[in-house]
Amino acid sequence: MKFLLGLALKNLSRYKKRTIITAAAIAVGLGIYIFIDAWLLGAEMESERNLIWYESSSARVLNESYWEEKDQLPLKYVIENPEEVTVRLQELKIPAAPRTVFGGELIVREDPFEQDGSMQVKIFSIDPEQDNTVFRFRETIVKGRYLKPGEEGILIGSWLAEDLGAEVGYPLTIVTRTRHGYYQIIDVEIVGIINCPNPSINRGAIFLPLDTADTYLEMQGAVTEINLKFPERSDAEMLAASIEEKLIEDFKGIEILSWKILARDYVAFAAMKQSGTRMILFLVFIIAAVGVSNTMLMAIYERFRELGMMRALGMKDSQVRLTFLFEAGGIGFIGSVFGVMLGCILCLWIVNRGVDYSAMIRDMDIGYRVTGIMRGAWHPKALVIAFFLGIILSVVTAFFPTRRALKMTITDCLRFQ
Amino acid sequence: MKLSKIALRNITRNKRRSLLSIVAIAVAAMSIAFLFSFLEGYKNDLADNLHTYYSGEIRVRHKDYGKNEYLNPLHLRIESFRGVIEEIEKNDAVEAVSPRISFPTGIYRKEDTYKAIGMGVDFQYEKAYQNLEDRIIEGVLPEMGKNQALIGVELARDIGVKTGDKITMISTTMRRGSNAITFRITGIVSFPVQAFNKSYLLVPLDRAQKLLRMNDSVTEIIMKLKKGSSGSEIAGQLVAAFRAAGREELETLSWEEIGTSYSFIEMASVTYNFMALFFFILASSVIINTTMMVIYERTREIGTIGAMGMIRGEIVRLFFIEALFLSFIGSLIGVLIGIGITIPLSIVGINFGSAMEGVSIEISEKIYPSLSLRSTIFVFFYSVMVASLASLIPSSKAARVEPAEALRNM
Amino acid sequence: MKRTVMALLVTLMVPASLWAISAEDIIKKLEKNTVTKTARIDGVMIINDRFGIKRSTFISYARGADTMLIEFTSVEEEGMKILRTRDEIYLFYPDAEELIRMQGAALKESVMGSDMSYEDMTGGRTLLQSYKVKLEGTEEIDGAPCYKVSMEAKKKGVPYYKQIMWIDKELFIYRKIHKFSRSGKLLKEIICDDVRQVSGKNIAFHMVLKDTMKRNSSTEFVINDIQINIPLKASIFSLEELTW
Repeated sequence: MKFLLGLALKNLSRYKKRTIITAAAIAVGLGIYIFIDAWLLGAEMESERNLIWYESSSARVLNESYWEEKDQLPLKYVIENPEEVTVRLQELKIPAAPRTVFGGELIVREDPFEQDGSMQVKIFSIDPEQDNTVFRFRETIVKGRYLKPGEEGILIGSWLAEDLGAEVGYPLTIVTRTRHGYYQIIDVEIVGIINCPNPSINRGAIFLPLDTADTYLEMQGAVTEINLKFPERSDAEMLAASIEEKLIEDFKGIEILSWKILARDYVAFAAMKQSGTRMILFLVFIIAAVGVSNTMLMAIYERFRELGMMRALGMKDSQVRLTFLFEAGGIGFIGSVFGVMLGCILCLWIVNRGVDYSAMIRDMDIGYRVTGIMRGAWHPKALVIAFFLGIILSVVTAFFPTRRALKMTITDCLRFQ
Repeated sequence: MKLSKIALRNITRNKRRSLLSIVAIAVAAMSIAFLFSFLEGYKNDLADNLHTYYSGEIRVRHKDYGKNEYLNPLHLRIESFRGVIEEIEKNDAVEAVSPRISFPTGIYRKEDTYKAIGMGVDFQYEKAYQNLEDRIIEGVLPEMGKNQALIGVELARDIGVKTGDKITMISTTMRRGSNAITFRITGIVSFPVQAFNKSYLLVPLDRAQKLLRMNDSVTEIIMKLKKGSSGSEIAGQLVAAFRAAGREELETLSWEEIGTSYSFIEMASVTYNFMALFFFILASSVIINTTMMVIYERTREIGTIGAMGMIRGEIVRLFFIEALFLSFIGSLIGVLIGIGITIPLSIVGINFGSAMEGVSIEISEKIYPSLSLRSTIFVFFYSVMVASLASLIPSSKAARVEPAEALRNM
Repeated sequence: MKRTVMALLVTLMVPASLWAISAEDIIKKLEKNTVTKTARIDGVMIINDRFGIKRSTFISYARGADTMLIEFTSVEEEGMKILRTRDEIYLFYPDAEELIRMQGAALKESVMGSDMSYEDMTGGRTLLQSYKVKLEGTEEIDGAPCYKVSMEAKKKGVPYYKQIMWIDKELFIYRKIHKFSRSGKLLKEIICDDVRQVSGKNIAFHMVLKDTMKRNSSTEFVINDIQINIPLKASIFSLEELTW
């Protein structure tokens, strides 16, 4: 056995060119496969992140009657005691951010705006401190500043600001209804403009401090939702269900929905995109596999004579087979190592620099939550799979011609062209 | 002449080796050709959906409509639009025209109101503009002049209606009044664009005009152009024609000028080109690898013919010609298989459907790969070129080696 | 002497007792005065907004405080009818085969693009049930002395938390109404003038409604002809009649 391994190793170093070429085929195939996989995964994860960080959070505590009528943005179905819920969640080490989301008419007037006008908007009232433990809006302010508790100030999305011709310091009026149905007017001033990587936020979001909204909407401490943050890449659905189980006894009438339900549209879209992705990855795999197996086949066929010689010299068939398979495995190993390295180098680039898309998507409801730069993401599983795939593929493709050679008579082998 | 004969003989002599080279080149060429068609199909689909459902290739509207779009300014309309269409149809480059009115509407049914978007279209014009009939999964097209409607499949599901049911559309009229008409649903449509499936209703243009009390006017006229005509050029011609006809209130834009849709395509193009680039690298590496392998394998043979007195240039040329033949055959087969896969798929389509439910995005659930002659021919020559050039390096290197040494080399 | 003192006291007390009329009484008198057994009005609604001026003519039939049918006659909305019953608002359109019942969010929509919402049409005449009222003093509106009565919601679900009405001291009709938001900002202003007497009732023939949030926009109601306490068939206000 040791002898066979040694022989295989010697063969590898003896035929350097062949080893290099075959290994190179594997390396390039794997490297590019890893790269494209990382890129596609990055696109997927980036948009998932942009969804969770800026829009849906990982999961949301809601009044159980809320979801059915969510389109009306009702203030009827609320969580009356958000603080108690939040404390319980913090005991479970889950960051939580209460919000009250309501609809209203945004009214702008000539001077400083260009013309009078009004539009229906969705307003998120957020606790400036707590919100940032779940969402990340503080970092996305491009003009002005973040919200201060209690102020009559708002943050608005950058595209909305552009559409309205709004600047920091401009006054706006929100006409809405309180929890009890009374008309309410909130005069506010724009304190900051947000430009976050989530287009749907940039296009229409308005943020107001939670305590301000509480006063104006007569919420008496109640909120419409509490957003939760789970550790990245955790199973949001399961976690949401288990937390709901823990909370439901003390807080009747609530439910916890994970982002997969909150953003059903997105999830379905991602699934579609994934089938497109798989198609592309499959094509990459085919080319890579053909490249690898082709070179390997050639490398083995080329050595039928040598194989015949080994048999003629008295090596057992099983020993010959093992030697050849070891050799193939060795080439696969070298190729895989370089392939993973190449893949990592390419990944470094796509993960850290990425492709710049900014200014290309605007106003377009493309479902995929991405703006700015599209980046790749490390996919350790793919690295491991690719590594072993490289070795296995080499060994498997080496197996068949070797078996064929061993079935031939020794003389045929020696005569083989 | 002599060299090519030897090359041919070499190829036929070692069939296995030749086959492997051909397969490698063929697979590489095939995948690239197919990927190109696939991405082309993606792009075409995107463009076609934007053209059919949103902006057209050229869009005519009242010049103030865009500025006030968020107010639903139906009064900023195209009056006596038939004259405008006549003017448009005088232009030979225009393939199809679609006059439309789109308007937000409420659908009232069984005490509930649902938000939707109505679109008044002339189904006669629409027949030429899009293959609406094929998209109907149940029922038939509405008749002009009758209170009949087509409804997007998901909207129908949300409201809970089927063909034959009646719904009442309630809308704000052009002069800010209010009006409602009851329509009978004659068909349910599966649009390739999910936004339409989720919220659109198509009604006869005259009915929409009646509902909105707009007399004989529309909010927009969009058109598709014959292949190969330039949008901005035709738009320019139309602008001149409208001005001559005294229709200065109209705004005529080609879709490249309607920023959003065009930048969307641009973005898709960047992604796809980038992806194609890495495909190219991978496929090229397979071709290069195989070619080099084949020649290295034959170092001894090179030594032999060198010993027999063939000079270096001839040896390199011989191997180049061999590679040329092989790659020619390989590329041809690859491209042909690529075409062979693409053509049926371009008719049947690749279905991403099941995953698409409830999605609001402008890509169809079915993608029809589109065969691009230019890129296919390009792929063919590219593969041939890469393979032949790849042969030069190892063969010139091998030919430089002393025959005796080459012979010793296994 | 005693008599003169008495007389003096009486003369002093009379205006005092007149002054002592409570806000509730004022509202009750107002409601009694504005409600007619039946009425038929031929009128026009003029909407003035950024899109220009729009005139819609209508004929309305009213019975008691809360039943009313408005039938539009202008070309733009010909045949459209709005029926208000005690609790509901229904819309009828000649080309729609079913009646549309306005409820929930739909009630917040504006009536035909005016500054009035469907909600404003409902429940306006049972003020004392929804509001706590307080007499704030007297003021003159267009030369007419008025009671200024402020009203604060005592019941959830009414759209305006606070209102102020200026009610004519003699005629007991309102001259002006201000409607406020929860935080006390003026939202809508209604001004009535051109008061005429018809069959013993005082009626403002002209009313202007302004939404303070929308500048340069107003809605006017002008009565061309009004008939009071005429016999009206009960069927006018039935849903069956409406669909027919």
